[in-house]
Amino acid sequence: MGADARGMPLPSSRALVVIPALDEEESLPRILAEVRDAAPGYDLLVIDDGSRDRTAEVARAHGVAVVSHPFNLGVGAALQTGFRWAVAHGYEIGIQLDADGQHDPRFLDALCAPVRAGTCDVAIGSRYVESSGYHTPRFRRLGMLLFSFVVRLALRRRISDTTSGFRAYGRAVMEVCQHDFPKDFPDAPLLIALGRRGFRLQEVPVVMRERQAGTSFYTLGKSLYYPYKNLVASLMAWLQRSP
Amino acid sequence: MEFLSRTQMIVAIAAVLLMLYVLDLVRRRRLSEEYSFLWVLASIMIAVLGFSTPLLRGITRALGMLFESSTVFAIGLAFTIVMLLYLSVKMSRLTQENQMLARELALLRHELEVGPDARTTG
Repeated sequence: MGADARGMPLPSSRALVVIPALDEEESLPRILAEVRDAAPGYDLLVIDDGSRDRTAEVARAHGVAVVSHPFNLGVGAALQTGFRWAVAHGYEIGIQLDADGQHDPRFLDALCAPVRAGTCDVAIGSRYVESSGYHTPRFRRLGMLLFSFVVRLALRRRISDTTSGFRAYGRAVMEVCQHDFPKDFPDAPLLIALGRRGFRLQEVPVVMRERQAGTSFYTLGKSLYYPYKNLVASLMAWLQRSP
Repeated sequence: MEFLSRTQMIVAIAAVLLMLYVLDLVRRRRLSEEYSFLWVLASIMIAVLGFSTPLLRGITRALGMLFESSTVFAIGLAFTIVMLLYLSVKMSRLTQENQMLARELALLRHELEVGPDARTTG
């Protein structure tokens, strides 16, 4: 067994599930129990992103490590905190999992398999690789098609589910992302930036569920700014020279 | 393309140049996408009005203004007010968050120095 940056012994598991949570006290117990049942080999870290409810308390009561932001920083910033933690504690894989119950932990092994096998650096749990019966509102579907097209233009390859928040990142990716990660909406621009840096992306078919509780990070106000931000950030990521 | 005056042409071209500069600032990571939003929106508006004389005339008539140049200045002024208000709101939030961070840091330092269970009296 090796040691991490602080001389602490490395955990036996090499994969860390990072759960960003904003006011998710209702849904958290269920998803934590599900991960424990379906994927006992994975360590868990909840990033409490400035919740006003008992999110951190609930997570601690379940014996899960919790890092609390003093105020809300955004889903991307929460993940970035998770990556820093994962890198500092010697994890090889970091998995992003929503607290709202949309992501089924039974797919964790399938999602991590290509990263473990070394065939890709980022595995994206995709709703649309195979028909999964997931219902998407028409407006959102339109946005997904647009950004799928933008990613296709920039990377010259098809990624059908650019907005999926169910992803597994290899250590090399986390080492980069702990310093440089979009603070909100880590979608198409992130995939383009990672692709341009030479990281290999792969989609893995998963079945997603409707969200079970809590409030989405994507509120109405943000949905007006979202297309602009994603288009500009995608363009900038595309303009960046690959090293 | 018909321009009412040389000024209109200069304003329209300046708006396009401003937008390109703002986007370049975003590219160089000196301006975040969030703060670029209003700038890009305003420069597009000014550029569209600058390059489309019939639209500028129409809006000037609709607003009851006497000169087309007043319309452009009025829109510029409106943008300035919105931007200042937006920045004031942002600054208030940053001040608040800064205070929270300082408080959090002070409490953590206290815990580190005397331990989490230390009491205030003997």
